[in-house]
Amino acid sequence: MNEIRLTCPPRLDKESGSELFKRLRHEKVTEGQTLVLDFSETEFLDSLGGARLIEISDHLRRWGGQMRLENEHGDVAEFLKVITPALSVTSSIQPKEVEVLEKIGGTAITVGEEIWQFIDLCIDAIYWTVLGPLEGKGFRWGMLLDEMHEMGVRAIGIVCMMNFLLGLIIAMLSAKQVENYGVQILVADAMMIGFARELAAVMTAVVVAARTGAAIAAELATMKVQEEIDALRGMGLNVAQFLVAPKLLSLVLMLPCLWVLGLITSLSGGFVWGVFVLKFNFSVWYTETLNAAHFQDLLQGFLKTIAFAIAIALIGCHNGLRVTGGSRGVGLMTTRAVVMDIFVMICIDIVFATIFYYILG
Amino acid sequence: MNTKDNHTIIEVRDLVTHYGETQILDHVSLAVPRGTVYVIIGGSGCGKTTLLKHMCGLLKPSSGQILYQGEDIVPMEEDDLAKMQRSIGIAFQTSGLLNSMTVGDNVALPLREYGNMDEPLIQAVVRMKLGLVGLADMAHLMPDELSGGMRKRAGLARAIALDPPLVYFDEPSAGLDPIMACGLDELILDLRRMLGITFVIVTHELDSIRKIADRILMLDRGTVIFDGTMEDVERTETERVRQFFERRPDEYIVQRTI
Repeated sequence: MNEIRLTCPPRLDKESGSELFKRLRHEKVTEGQTLVLDFSETEFLDSLGGARLIEISDHLRRWGGQMRLENEHGDVAEFLKVITPALSVTSSIQPKEVEVLEKIGGTAITVGEEIWQFIDLCIDAIYWTVLGPLEGKGFRWGMLLDEMHEMGVRAIGIVCMMNFLLGLIIAMLSAKQVENYGVQILVADAMMIGFARELAAVMTAVVVAARTGAAIAAELATMKVQEEIDALRGMGLNVAQFLVAPKLLSLVLMLPCLWVLGLITSLSGGFVWGVFVLKFNFSVWYTETLNAAHFQDLLQGFLKTIAFAIAIALIGCHNGLRVTGGSRGVGLMTTRAVVMDIFVMICIDIVFATIFYYILG
Repeated sequence: MNTKDNHTIIEVRDLVTHYGETQILDHVSLAVPRGTVYVIIGGSGCGKTTLLKHMCGLLKPSSGQILYQGEDIVPMEEDDLAKMQRSIGIAFQTSGLLNSMTVGDNVALPLREYGNMDEPLIQAVVRMKLGLVGLADMAHLMPDELSGGMRKRAGLARAIALDPPLVYFDEPSAGLDPIMACGLDELILDLRRMLGITFVIVTHELDSIRKIADRILMLDRGTVIFDGTMEDVERTETERVRQFFERRPDEYIVQRTI
């Protein structure tokens, strides 16, 4: 017996469809069998009833069976015609099984491609920032000023505020720690060393990464989504020259300036605590701070900000230009840019610490 | 250069292209005669915009040739490609105007980069080009202050800023009201007549096609299924083409055995 016949109820809806399904389960369809659904009595079919039919056809397919409809008429026939495309495809789309090796390989290829794109962008950006203008190939100076204003001048407030507060907190906490030893004046030294080597640069760069890094990524990503990047390339303009180079140079110029401001305000934070709370003499604290300043520390902090600036600008541009998909892509890439910025900054930090204090001594 | 080359401004030979592993275009060939309005049609997602982006060198194909004025642009280095792109105007679907500058600066952008002109002359050219598209007094506005139709026209003004012999226009009338769309069609025809510009246009607005197309190419799932004039369309036997022009939906394929 290669056919099983079932007569559909007069009204095929969610409940009666479920009944039909149960009857079918009793019949135990085996491979190669065909289920014939007789619609001669059916006068009514709603969308949930239709959905039951789709469920049934999926089950049959899993058991290796087939389904045929018969004697449909009137409105029911019209409706069945509309749902036929859904009946003829298996709904439970099985995601393609991906082997572990395949997965690893796929990821490696994606990561490799991304690294290659990033290197390409770096080379392009450095060319158009340094060599291009030297060879007289043009640089958008007007845009540079705009960017410097946006990235530098407008960030002064927040950078100073954050550094000042951090300075205050660090002074507060370290003074508490050394209270019992009576060497609270050393807090001034600790502030100078800590902020010059590490904290001012990192704090400033974190603020700028969150502010400017995100802005760069979002701006370029939106431009990509709105075909502005294509339009530029279509006019034969180089994206690295036109968009990336001004941002890169602007940040490389501005971040060290912000760092200087950040260092000064953070030290004043410590100063406020030392002079007004710990009641040290103004000049004593001042001299102690200056005595702790070493050229090597300051140089390290300064060079680090330049490395941070390059990283923030290029990572922002890279992620912005890689965007795919609409507004959601812009959001994803912006987030990614900031996370990558901060991660890469910490990596750069480790490299600098190792070079300056372990290799150079 | 032989006579054939003089008649053909851009030619595509056996273009094959993939996004990842999905094949988008399958051996597409076409030739655009000089001074015509060449319309590329096809259902959504059939590869029209992709084809256009290949024809201006924004994407590299998997294989095939694209000959612009007889020269293959596929193997070109960046510098040569940029030179070729300067002689093509591209008006994008979403206008592609840079949102960070005024409409006037947008039109002036290619002039400032390549035009080798002084600023007063640039301003004059900008006014003239914006005047051509009916936006003469809008130069000081930012793109987001314009309506959709105005933005498209401003995009067109930028595309023709350097007097290119060839202009690509992606979906000129999509999302415009009939009056605006019709106006844009007139504009395209005027520009072709006055400036002798060859247009390659991607669209699926039937009325617009009937009005402006000298030659029509239809793509379906990445292959060319029709290439001919509007009269050829009336006579064609190809079901898909007839369906497109008669605005018939895909019929449900009634499968009795599932």
